[in-house]
Amino acid sequence: MSSTVLAASTGLDFSLAQQLTVVALCALTAFLAHLALAVFNDGLRPFMLDFVQGRTTRSATTAVSFGLSAGFIFGLGAPMALSSGTLNPWLLFLPTDILGLLAPKKWLAPVLGGAWGGVVVFGLKGANDLAHDLPVDFLTALQQMATPILFLFTLFPVLAITKQFGKLLGGLAGVVELALVVLTMKVWPDVFAGAPAMAVGVLLLIGCAVARDVRQRRAAERAAAGAVPAAGEEASTVTSGRAPGGVDPMASLFGASAARLRRHLPLFMVLGAGICLLSQLHVFGGGEATSFLIAKGQYAEAAQVDFYRALGFIPLIATTALASGAYGIVGFTLVYPIGYLLPSPWPALVCGALVFAVEVLALSWIGKALGRLPSVRDSSQHLRGAIGDTLHLAILFGSLMAAHAMGGGLGILIAGGLYLLNEAMGRVVVRMAAAPAAVLVTGIVLNVLHWLHLFTPIKT
Amino acid sequence: MTTILTGGVGKTEVADAVRRLAPAGVEAVVSNDMDAVALLQAGRADYFLGTCQTGAGASLGVLVGLMGAATCHTFGRSVPSVEEIDTLLDQGKRVFGFAVDQVDAIVPALVLAIATRA
Repeated sequence: MSSTVLAASTGLDFSLAQQLTVVALCALTAFLAHLALAVFNDGLRPFMLDFVQGRTTRSATTAVSFGLSAGFIFGLGAPMALSSGTLNPWLLFLPTDILGLLAPKKWLAPVLGGAWGGVVVFGLKGANDLAHDLPVDFLTALQQMATPILFLFTLFPVLAITKQFGKLLGGLAGVVELALVVLTMKVWPDVFAGAPAMAVGVLLLIGCAVARDVRQRRAAERAAAGAVPAAGEEASTVTSGRAPGGVDPMASLFGASAARLRRHLPLFMVLGAGICLLSQLHVFGGGEATSFLIAKGQYAEAAQVDFYRALGFIPLIATTALASGAYGIVGFTLVYPIGYLLPSPWPALVCGALVFAVEVLALSWIGKALGRLPSVRDSSQHLRGAIGDTLHLAILFGSLMAAHAMGGGLGILIAGGLYLLNEAMGRVVVRMAAAPAAVLVTGIVLNVLHWLHLFTPIKT
Repeated sequence: MTTILTGGVGKTEVADAVRRLAPAGVEAVVSNDMDAVALLQAGRADYFLGTCQTGAGASLGVLVGLMGAATCHTFGRSVPSVEEIDTLLDQGKRVFGFAVDQVDAIVPALVLAIATRA
């Protein structure tokens, strides 16, 4: 387990090709955000419809984008990048959402986006070196987050199953996952212990959901065949209640959005190629746990983790894209695992382009299929909720371990105290980002205390 | 009977919170964004409470697009005052989004305001 503790050693040392890829990709993503063709923040996408249809202004949409993203950029993206030594989508693409929307002219969007890419690849390295040279090195301490994130993340399917299918199935899934983790550690010590457990957990969840949908559809068909109107039970809310006759408003809106995205297929193929290339270069992790796995060179495990994570996001991305006419900057996130696994950049460019083409072309079909699978959509929501819950504990615990590593009890007091204070003040900082942000502040405070001869750095 | 649908990442928590309040004439039903649109438009439900990490956008899902922005409001991460909630209900807002970590702060005020109109 000690190998997972120190996930990254150097990191953020980019070759020229990697730097150019990041700059070019940030320019492209800002351009697409400017055209309202794609944004990274899933929360922003529903607001894009009003913007596309001209009911809100560019500046109002930019303000929404900034409000939704700022906490995640500084609280999640930046600390994750500094502690893992690899880039992540929050740091790269949330700012390009904002900059692309902010740009009043079409040509300015890629310029601003590219400039942000430059700031990240050159500036982050400088910040990284500077922080490592301080008497109290809080970046090395932040690597303490890797272990709790990696191991607790393993449990997210169990939480999702418990919430959706009850205590019995949830408890069963928990026992199965734990047994698999122990087995993996014993039999395949080189494999990330959580990977097989996570695989089984997610398959179990999807299996239960599909089974429930099939059962309910059969029951509905039987009820329809018997011409007995369904009683007003909770289950009858599923896909019922559509107004008889007339055009289904969902179908017409979804159709128009899908057509808008299909018109820009070549641009999306370039985007897919770029995202897949970035993943292939192994300087980028798409998910919370992945950054640390990529930093350690465990690409197969990273691919697996991001593949399961994608299952939690595909329905959200598909429905918000169909409702708003703006796609996800990273698509269904399926190009991440493909990129990690590919051996060289050229196949990554080709595969990325093809995957995005298929995704955009299949969007209406996916929307229709999801309409018939309410339990699967529920599962994806529960998966995202569970990812949030596991990460909340993992990040809080990892942050306190980091605070302990750099300042002992005093570190825990300051970081934990700042976290509790934020809670007491009604969560001014997003809960997920509060602990890492508190660690950064603690690092600065400890350095100041050291400078005042009030604190002696802890030797490790 | 006023029916409140819940959706988003905290849909079960929100439904439980409504049921704990147990206001007269109000029932909570766990739903999701796509089904909620159909139920609201068919008049078989009255309100939708959605939750997500940011409290905006993803919590409302497709509702902004299908119900129109005029019926939707997001509190984001802020906690609204009773007056603010009353004003929004007066304006005919029926779809509300908020952050999943603010459920305890927002649901009671919002649901009691809805119950007084039931």
